[in-house]
Amino acid sequence: MSDQKTPTINFKEKAMELLPEGASFEACLTCGLCSSGCPASGLENMDPRKFIRMAMLGMDEELSTTPWVWCCTQCKRCQHVCPMNIDISQLVFIARGNWPQEKKPAGIVRSCQLIRSTDSTSAMGLPPEDFVFVVDDVLKEVRETQSGFENLQAPMDKKGAHFFVNQNSREPMNEPDEMVPLWKIFDMVGADWTYSSKGWAAENFCMFSGDDDAWYQVIKTRVDAVHELDCKVWLNTECGHSYYTMWNAIAKFGMDVNFKLESLVTYYAQWIREGKLPVNSDWNVNNIKFTVQDPCMIVRKAYGDAIADDMRFVVKKLVGEENFIDMQPNRSANYCCGGGGGFLQAGMTEHRRAYGKRKFDQIAATKAAYVLTPCHNCHSQMEDIGHFYGGDYGVVHFWTLICLSLGILGENERTYLGPDLLALID
Amino acid sequence: MTEEARHFETELAVIGSGIAGFAASIFALNKNITTAQVGNTGAVAYTTGYLDLLGKIEGETGAVENPWESVKTLKNNCPNHPLSDISTNDIEEAFIQFTTFLGECGIAYSSPGKTNITALSPAGTLKKTLCLPSTMAPGPKAFAAQKPCVIVDFKGLKGFSGRQVVANLQDKWPNLRTERISFPDMTSGEIYPEVMARALEVEQTREKLAEAIKVVAEAVKVIGLPAVLGMHSPDFVRAELERLTGLEIFEIPTMPPSVPGIRLREMFEQVFPQKGLTLIPQQKVQSLTFKDNEVVLHIRDNYGPITIHAKAVILATGRFLSGGLEAHITGISEALLDLPVTQPEKREDWYLNQYTDVRGHAIHKAGIEVDSSFRPLGKDGKPYHQRLFGAGIILAHQDWIRSRSGAGIAIATAYKAVEAVDNFLHA
Ligand SMILES: Cc1cc2nc3c(=O)[nH]c(=O)nc-3n(C[C@H](O)[C@H](O)[C@H](O)COP(=O)(O)OP(=O)(O)OC[C@H]3O[C@@H](n4cnc5c(N)ncnc54)[C@H](O)[C@@H]3O)c2cc1C
Ligand code: SF4
Ligand code: SF4
Ligand code: SF4
Repeated sequence: MSDQKTPTINFKEKAMELLPEGASFEACLTCGLCSSGCPASGLENMDPRKFIRMAMLGMDEELSTTPWVWCCTQCKRCQHVCPMNIDISQLVFIARGNWPQEKKPAGIVRSCQLIRSTDSTSAMGLPPEDFVFVVDDVLKEVRETQSGFENLQAPMDKKGAHFFVNQNSREPMNEPDEMVPLWKIFDMVGADWTYSSKGWAAENFCMFSGDDDAWYQVIKTRVDAVHELDCKVWLNTECGHSYYTMWNAIAKFGMDVNFKLESLVTYYAQWIREGKLPVNSDWNVNNIKFTVQDPCMIVRKAYGDAIADDMRFVVKKLVGEENFIDMQPNRSANYCCGGGGGFLQAGMTEHRRAYGKRKFDQIAATKAAYVLTPCHNCHSQMEDIGHFYGGDYGVVHFWTLICLSLGILGENERTYLGPDLLALID
Repeated sequence: MTEEARHFETELAVIGSGIAGFAASIFALNKNITTAQVGNTGAVAYTTGYLDLLGKIEGETGAVENPWESVKTLKNNCPNHPLSDISTNDIEEAFIQFTTFLGECGIAYSSPGKTNITALSPAGTLKKTLCLPSTMAPGPKAFAAQKPCVIVDFKGLKGFSGRQVVANLQDKWPNLRTERISFPDMTSGEIYPEVMARALEVEQTREKLAEAIKVVAEAVKVIGLPAVLGMHSPDFVRAELERLTGLEIFEIPTMPPSVPGIRLREMFEQVFPQKGLTLIPQQKVQSLTFKDNEVVLHIRDNYGPITIHAKAVILATGRFLSGGLEAHITGISEALLDLPVTQPEKREDWYLNQYTDVRGHAIHKAGIEVDSSFRPLGKDGKPYHQRLFGAGIILAHQDWIRSRSGAGIAIATAYKAVEAVDNFLHA
C-alpha cells in the first residue's frame, strides 16, 4: 500500500461544471427519497442525500476519501426517484477518478490494466489469438458431437457482416460451452454476424475506475474494430454494463461512428415476433416459476422501459405468461443487484452482500425458482447473494432458456439448470 | 450515431405525476380517452396516504367534521376557490372513481363517507381526512372505541417515534403504550420505511416480525405500526401479520420519505401501461407547441428525444415543490408556458411577519386562473388555447396545506378537467 495522499476535490465546483446535465445539486430538497431507495445507504456511514449535503457544505476532504464511492454502483436509481432529477453518480465518478491509482480497489485497477494490455480489450487479458483458438476449438467439438449442428458457424473477422457481436471474457476463459447457445440462435434465425479478433470483449472496468482516458481508449479500440470490419450493427451480448460503457462513451466523448448499437434482447424479441425463433412454453409442464432482473445499465440508464417490455415479452413466450412473476419494483425503478460498478471486483464482499440484500428480498418475494437476466454481473451477484442469504433460486441466461425451449440445448450447455429443469429435458 | 426520435399519438396528454395527474389519467381511462402521461415524482411520493377533502375552513376555528357541508360554504367565504364551483355530487363521484381504481389495482382504500375520519398523524396528533388506505383504517376505529393498544416502533427508524405518538395521545387514549423492537435482520444503522416495507413482502421476514410483535403485545389485542406493511401488496401483508399474530394490526403514516406515497407511485407505474396508457415516468416536458389541430409535447429521456402529439393537454404540474410554479426576485411565474400567475403584488407581501400566523401567507394562494371549463387563462384574460386544460394545486385561490384539502383539490379539479376534455374531444 502506498501512502500517497488522496487529493481533495472541490465537489461544489465540480457539480457546477456538470450543469446542465448534472442538474443543480443546490436544488436538493433533502427529502431523502434517494437514500430511502438506495441499497448502498448506510454502508460506510454514507448515503446519497448525505453525500449531496456534504458536497454543498464543502466537506470535500471526507468526500474525497470515503470508500463509499466504491459501494455506489452508479446505478442512478437515486436520480430516477429524485423529484429534482439530481444525479449523484456523476459526483461518485469524479471521486473515484480522483483516488490515487494505488489506493483504488486492486481488482478494478487490475481489470482495467488487463483490458488495455491486449487488442482484445479483455478484462481477463485473453489475447486475440487465444480467443480465436477457443472459438475454433469449441466450434469443432460442437460440429463433431452435436447432430444437426455439423455446419454451425462462428465467423471471425468477417468483413461486411451485418452484426459485430461482442463476447464477455468469462465465457472463452472459464465456460466456453456457454458461447454455443448463442451461435445456435444466430444459426436458426440466419443472422449475418461475426466475431472480431480485435476489440471483441464486452466488459469495461476502466469506466468503473473513474479513469476517463482509459475508458476512452478501450472504446476507441472497439469502435475502430467495428469500423475495420465495416459492420452495420454492434450487437451487445447478454451483459449490462458493456452496452452502457460503449453507448454512453460515444456520446460523452463525441465519437464519430457509422454503425448502430443494439442489444441482443431487442433482437430476441424481434426474431420471436417474426417467427424466426419459434420458442414456446410447452416444455414447462410443471409450471416452474421465473422472474426477470432488469439490468440498470440497459434499462434505467439507457433504453428505458421499452427494452424492459421486450424482455418481458421474451420471458413470457419462453416460460408461459402464468409462470412469469415480476419483481417489485421493476423496469426503470428496479434495484441494482449490487454486482455493478465494479463491486464484484472491488473485494468488498461484506458491503456488496449487504447491498444485495435488497435484491435478495425482491427475488424471495416472487418465490420464483429462477431469475432470468441478460447481464453477467447481475448473474454472478444474484447467484452469490442467493447462496449467502439461503435462497434456493437459480440464475439463467436468456440464450440457455431459448435453446432449451427449442430443444437444442447441448449437454455441456446446462450448467445453470437445476434438477427441476434438467428433469424436463432428459 | 444518430438518435432516433420516438413519437406517440394520443387524444389526451397529462403533464404531471402528482395526485392530480394520476387522477386525470384514471378519469380519462374510465371514459375510454386514449391518454399519455408525463411527469417525474412529485409530492405524491411524500404523502401520508390520506386523501383529504377539506379539513379546515379559513376564518373558522376548529376542524371540519362534515366536509360536504363545508365545501358548500366555500361559495360564500372564498368564491374563487377551485372547489367552490364543483358540485358535491361531482366531488363524491371523483373520490369514488379514484378510490375504486386504487382498490382494483391492489391498494384498498375506504370509500368517501358522510363525514370526515379522525386519523392519526405521524406525530400522533389528530387530523381530519376523508379516505384512508385500508391498512390504516383500524387505527381510527380503535381510537374511537378506546381499545387498549400498543404502538410499536423500531430501532434505527427515524421519522416515527412511538413515544411521541403516545405522548401526544395519552390524554385522549388512556390505554395506549409503546414498545421498541428490532426489525428482523436489520440491526445496524439507520433503517428506512421503504426498505422495511420491501422486506415484509418476504414470508420469512413476516414470520420473524410476527414473533417479535407477539412478545411485546402481551395481553393487548391491537397493534399500531409505522406504515411499513409491504410495498406492492400491503393488504395481503397486513392480513398475513394479523393471521400470524392473532392480533389486530394497523399502520400509522411516517414522516417522508414514506411508504404510502411510494406505493401509489409504483402501483401507477405498474398498472397504467398495462391498461394501455402511455406513461413516461420521471421526465419533464421541456416545451409545448400548439397547433390548430394538435398540441406537441417535447420530452427528452436518457435514450433521446420523445414527442407526444395530443388533441388536448391537461397541465397538472403543481406548485413550487414540483416545479409548476417558479419564484423569482421579480415575482412568481408558471414554468412551462409562462401563463399569468395570480400573486401578491409585491414580494414583500408573500409572507406575513410571523411564519405561523393563523391567517396564512398570500404566496400559498398563488396560481393560475382557469375558466369554467378548466381552461387556463392567458395574458389577455381569455383561454390560452382551446386545447389546454389545467388541474390540481397549480390553480390559484386555495391554500391546500392550511385547508387540509390537497388530494381533494387535485382529484376534484382533475375530474372536472377531464369532463371538459371529453366534451371538447367529442363535441
Ligand atoms: C409532505 C406532503 C404530505 C402530504 N400529505 C397529504 C395528505 O395527508 N393528504 C392529502 O390529501 N394531501 C397530502 N399532500 C398533498 C398532495 O400530495 C397534493 O395535494 C397533491 O399531490 C397535489 O397534486 P398535484 O398533482 O396538483 O401537484 P403535485 O403533487 O405537486 O404534482 C405535480 C407534478 O407535476 C410534475 N411536473 C412539474 N413540471 C413538469 C413538467 N414540466 N413536465 C412534466 N411534469 C412536470 C411534477 O414532477 C409532479 O409530478 C401532501 C403533500 C406533501 C408535500
Ligand atoms: S431525492 Fe433528490 S431532492 Fe431528495 S434528498 Fe435526494 S437528491 Fe435531494
Ligand atoms: S447511483 Fe445507485 S448506488 Fe449510487 S447512490 Fe444512487 S442509488 Fe445509490
Ligand atoms: S450488475 Fe446488473 S443491476 Fe448491477 S449495475 Fe450491472 S447491470 Fe446494473
